[in-house]
Formats: sequence, structure tokens, C-alpha cells
Amino acid sequence: DSGIQSGATTVREEDETESNKKFPTENTTDLDGQYSLTRAQRVRAAMFPETLVEGESTLPTQTDPDQQTNVQRLAEPSQLLKTAIVHLINYQDDAELATRAVPELTKLLADEDQVVVNKAALIVNQLTRKEASRRVLMQSPQMVAAVVRALQAGDLETSRCAASVLHSLSHQREGLLAIFKSGGIPALVRMLSSPMESVLFYSITTLHNLLLHQEGAKMAVRLADGLQRMVPLLKKTNPKFLAITTDCLQLLSYGNQESKLIILANGGPESLVFIMRNYNYEKLLWTTSRVLKVLSVCPSNKPAIVDAGGMQALGQHLTGSSQRLVQNCLWTLRNLSDAATKQEGLDGLLQILVTQLGSDELNMLTCATGILSNLTCNNARNKALVCQSGGVEALIHAVLRAGQKEDVCEPAVCALRHLTSRHAHAELAQNAVRLHYGIPAITKLLGQPYYWPVVKATVGLIRNLALCPANQAPLREAGAIPRLVNLLLKAHQDTQRLGSSAQQTYQDGVRMEEIVEGCTGALHILARDPINRGEISSMQTIPLFVQLLYSYVENVKRVSAGVLCELALDKQSAELIDAEGASAPLMELLHSPNEGIATYAAAVLFRISEDKSSDYRKRVSVELTHSLFKHDPAAWEMVSEANTHLASTLLGIHVFMDLALCTGVQSFGPSPNCSHKVGSMKLSKISWGQAQLLKNNPIP
Amino acid sequence: MNREEAPGKSPEEMYIQQKVRVLLMLKKMGSNLTPNEEAFLRNYAGVVHSQMSQLPQHNIDQGAEDVVMAFSRSETEDRRQ
Repeated sequence: DSGIQSGATTVREEDETESNKKFPTENTTDLDGQYSLTRAQRVRAAMFPETLVEGESTLPTQTDPDQQTNVQRLAEPSQLLKTAIVHLINYQDDAELATRAVPELTKLLADEDQVVVNKAALIVNQLTRKEASRRVLMQSPQMVAAVVRALQAGDLETSRCAASVLHSLSHQREGLLAIFKSGGIPALVRMLSSPMESVLFYSITTLHNLLLHQEGAKMAVRLADGLQRMVPLLKKTNPKFLAITTDCLQLLSYGNQESKLIILANGGPESLVFIMRNYNYEKLLWTTSRVLKVLSVCPSNKPAIVDAGGMQALGQHLTGSSQRLVQNCLWTLRNLSDAATKQEGLDGLLQILVTQLGSDELNMLTCATGILSNLTCNNARNKALVCQSGGVEALIHAVLRAGQKEDVCEPAVCALRHLTSRHAHAELAQNAVRLHYGIPAITKLLGQPYYWPVVKATVGLIRNLALCPANQAPLREAGAIPRLVNLLLKAHQDTQRLGSSAQQTYQDGVRMEEIVEGCTGALHILARDPINRGEISSMQTIPLFVQLLYSYVENVKRVSAGVLCELALDKQSAELIDAEGASAPLMELLHSPNEGIATYAAAVLFRISEDKSSDYRKRVSVELTHSLFKHDPAAWEMVSEANTHLASTLLGIHVFMDLALCTGVQSFGPSPNCSHKVGSMKLSKISWGQAQLLKNNPIP
Repeated sequence: MNREEAPGKSPEEMYIQQKVRVLLMLKKMGSNLTPNEEAFLRNYAGVVHSQMSQLPQHNIDQGAEDVVMAFSRSETEDRRQ
């Protein structure tokens, strides 16, 4: 006997023998009868324990305490099945009841008597408590429409019931659709002005469900002026209510510029910042930070958030335990940072950000470096604070850990560039980079593969580092000079390929003219060191620098005149500069309105004219008179104005031609012979000279 | 050439005045001077003194300005929790 039919346990041979011993054969039929009777009882007890009379028990059949009988094993599943069947039966009943009641209730909800309407609403609300009847309700468009009408037309109590009904229906897709199709959204938006808290809560929650799950709901809420009604609700004080409201704002404003402007127009930034500053309910802070993140990419909202104290408020939450909140605050701060360069009261934030530079988490590093880069931009106070907080060392480590990750590397290098110039502690920062072994790592960033934004930032940083005399040798030893020269050659080649000053060459969003300017500027400062000067000259760079004097970019003119000015300190280089025909463009540059350019040009001319005749020096002097003193009224008074201008122009042309013709020994051997045409001589010399330079310094 | 001379100042004097001014401007911008140029300034200390007050007070060549980075992070939807 397997026990399937009888429920008896399987009897083994020895047990059978034993049982035979216990029960005499003549009593077997009676025993079977007893077992059959208790079998039914056992099954009933297993499936319907509630039917057992108190004290009643069945004959136990379990012989092995570790092994349940089949009936015992089937007890729980059979009870579950029984319960499901009971539910089905009840569901059927509820559904049938609701189906019969809905038409009548729909009529009553439209009754003229408000008491009737109220009672009907109460009943409908009761019906929504059970799933079967709730389904019937949401499947009746007339019923849902009637509820929506009752929501608006009824008294407060009726509104409360109606709002509760809609809220219940909004937990299912079918219900959401029914509400949407019945014009529920405009009605619910109107209820956001209700003086009754429960109506308010039901309405915002129902709208939230619609925004989350119902297609078309966002547009409908916007059209119903939902934003204009929701923003003022940010002044409420219930944190959970605020969490739902802010989430609604996020859903509505994400990717929708008009919505963001409406939020701004209704004072959204101030209210949102207030929440960040004054609440500590994590979910509310998270939903609010999400709205601020969405608004932070809007150029109009950005300054409003910053002016409302958004940077400080967001900074409060960077050390909390909620990672999702910390991350949202960081992204938002990063977006806002370019509008916050003049904000005060950011000391705490800056210190936290410096600490976060030690993180290994990529998102955190990306944000911290980006925010620091912007907050140190043109802000001497912030620069000093970051330096004093160990920012230089932390940024160097961030650069080392960033590797090829440009989103970290570029802002980190930019931040270091800011810290190393234009503030009282710049020199300390320049030294700190060297002391924390930053120079080799930074110089390596000039290598391939070139990511031009990082290259541009690094070149600027190297220029600043070179301002510190103690950094000159380490920069040279790290190979900065050949890297800069090669970059300069490559960038200059790219600009020449286009052949027109109107067009500009961009790579990774960076103009090659900026690379030319940056590299030349860095070499200018590096050339202050005599050994570096020799290395720069030895790389046949002088012809290129002379050519750059003709650039249409003023800054390029300035840095090339500057580097030539330093190189001209060495007599041999001064002769080379002269041989390259630098006098002509330098004479022009004497008249530059840029004082730096005019000064450098004059200094180079003085240096290359040391061995020249007094006539030559006089001509330089005349040109200088018309340039260096033009902003100096007292000195200008000493010169006869009317005759001087015409005479000096003529003289200038004469001097130009004179100097161009007396260029002496060429640096690359004989040049094309077109000495009577100064202009073409100048151009042909330059292109020929550059070809020679590139031949001597092939680009890897 | 004589037309261009300032009344009361010889070409040589003009040259000296201009060179002193240029060298002082160079020093202000952080550039090096040759030993001859340093000696030149020492020789014409009087001219240096008169030119010092006429130098521009602002910084002239400080390199590239600080630039903000525009992080217009594309709006990415967070995972709703």
C-alpha cells in the first residue's frame, strides 16, 4: 500500500510482522473500518481546520516523527487552494454586486441634492476597497466621469471621497487611463488649491501616479497649469507631501525648457533651496536634488539657484550617508559651478571637495575636479583657500589616478593652472607642484594620444610652473621643451594647411591657434633659464617664432615677440633673429596698442641693434617715439606732431625696406634671390625657412 | 631726421629715454636683462627715476586668463527607487 489511497504509511516487512504480532487476524476488518472513517476526518481536518469541533481529534497515522504523512504534506497547499477558491467565489460576488450598483450610483452622483451625492460618493469609496468592485468601477467611463464631476462640484466632504476614489483607481493602469480619459487631470490640478489637506494629498498622489505611468499625462498637467499650482505647494511643511510634489516637478521639467522657466517664474529655485537647507528626510532631499539637477542645466535657472544659496545648501549634503543624494548634489554643483565663480561663503564646500579628490569613485572625482576648476577661476580667495587646504597635492594625485580619463584630467589640470597664477599664493602652488612630484606626470600629458583640451590646459600649467625659477630644471629634465616644440610645429602646420586667416582649425573643440599660442607662451617663460634658452634655440625654432610675428592673432604675436626677446639675450640667437629678417615685423609691432607686444618688439630690436650703426639705432628710436610715447601726453608734446607723422610714415617704409635688405647671412644657406621685392622676399624666405626647420625637426 | 627730434632733446637722449623705459617695462613683466642692460640702467639712474612713475600700474603680461568650463551635463534620468 503506497498510501496514496488510504493515507496510511508504507509498512515494511518487519513492521508488518510486528503489527501482525500486535493485532490478531480476527480484528483486521474492524481496524480497516476505523482507518477509513478517520481518513475522511483527517482530510477534512487538513483542509478545513476551522470546521473541527473543539476537542475533536483524528486517529494519528504518523509512525515516523521525522516523516510527515501524505495528508500532512498536502495540508498547506490544499488550504491555499481552498482560500483561492473562496476568494474567487467572493470576487464573483463583489463583482456582481458592483456591476448592479454602478448605474444607479452614477445617477446618484449627479443628483441635485448634495446629501445624496455625498452618500453616493461614500458608497463608491467603499466599493473601491475591494479589488473586484474597484475593477468594475474603473471599467465604467460614466462612473469615473461622475466621480470627477463630484470632485469639483461637491462640498468638501464629497470632494474628499471623490479624491479618495480617484486615488484608489490610480493604482491600476486601467484606472489611470479611465481618469485620464474622463478629464481627471484638469480637475485634480484644480484640487491642488483645496483648503482640505486630505484632498490635497489625494490629488497630488493621483497626479504623481498619472505622471509616472500614464502616457500623455505630462502634457495634460502642463496644459492645465499644473506647474503654476505645484510650485507654491513647496511651501507646505509635510516632508512626504513635499517629496511627492518635488518628484512631480522633476517629471514635468525633465527635458522641457518651458516647464523649467515656469518653475523659475514661480519662485521654484528659492523654495527648492530652502528645502535642501532645512529638511533632513532623505527621500525629500533626494527628490529635491533631482529637480535642482534638472534646473541646473537651464541658463536662466542657474543664476537664480546660485543667488538663492544653492551652492552652500547642496554642499551641506556632501558628507551624508546617502550615496544617491551625494551624487545628485555633486552633479548639480558641477552644472552650477560656472555661474558661481563670484559666490562667497564657499569655504566649507571647497574643503569638502579637496577631501573628495581622494576618492576612487570616478563620478565623484569627475565632479570634484570640475567644481574646483570653476570655483578657482578668477577668484583669488578660493585659490588661496584651496592651496591652504592641500589642494595642489590632492589635484596632482587625481591627475595620476585619472590616467586617460579626460573628464577628470582636464578639470584637474585646469584647476592647477588656476592655482599657479594670479593670486598671492601662486608661487607657493608652483613650488608645491614640484615638491609633490607633479612635474613628470604633468609633462607626460603632452604626449600622444593627444586629447587637445588636456594638452591646452597642460601647456598653460607648464607656462605657470616655469615662472618659478626652481621649476625650470625639473621641467627641462622631464622633457618639456622638445614636447612643446613638437606640439607647436604640429599645430602650426595644421593652421597653415588651411591657408586662410578667416578659417580656424579645431580638433576636439580646441583651435590649433590656441595650441600655437600656448606652446609659444610656455617656451617664452622657459627661455628665462639660460640652459633652456640654449635648448630652445638649438631646436631651430627661431625662424618659426619670426614667422609667428606675422600672425593675425594678437596673443600669438605677443608670445612670439616675448620668446624672441628672451632668446635675443644670447648674442648668437640675436644674430639668428636678425638674419631671419625679424626687424621688419618687429618695427610694425612697435606700433601695437598692446604694451606687452610693443615692449618685447622694442627690446628685441635693441638687442639685435647693439652692434649696428648709430643710424640704425636712430631709426629704431624714431619708430619708438611714435609708439611708446603715444599714450604719454607729456612725452608726445616734445615731438613735433604734424610733420612727424608724415615724415615718420615715409621714413618707416624706408627703414622697413632698408632693414629688410640688410639681413646679412642666412641661417639656412642661400635664399631665393628677389631682393627688389621686399614683400615677396619676406614670404618666400619664410616658407623656405619653415621647410628647412621641419626637415631638421621631423615630427614623430 | 632732425625734424623728428624733440625740442631740447638730442637723438641720443631720446634713445636713452626710450631704452630705459623699455628695459623697465621688461623688468616689470618679469623678463631678464643682459648685464649690459643692467649696467645701462645703473648708468642712467636719473632717467630711471623719472620713468618709473610713468610706467603703467596694471599687470601687462600675465599669460592666458582663467577660463570657466561649461558643464552642460545632458540630463540623464536616474534610476527611480
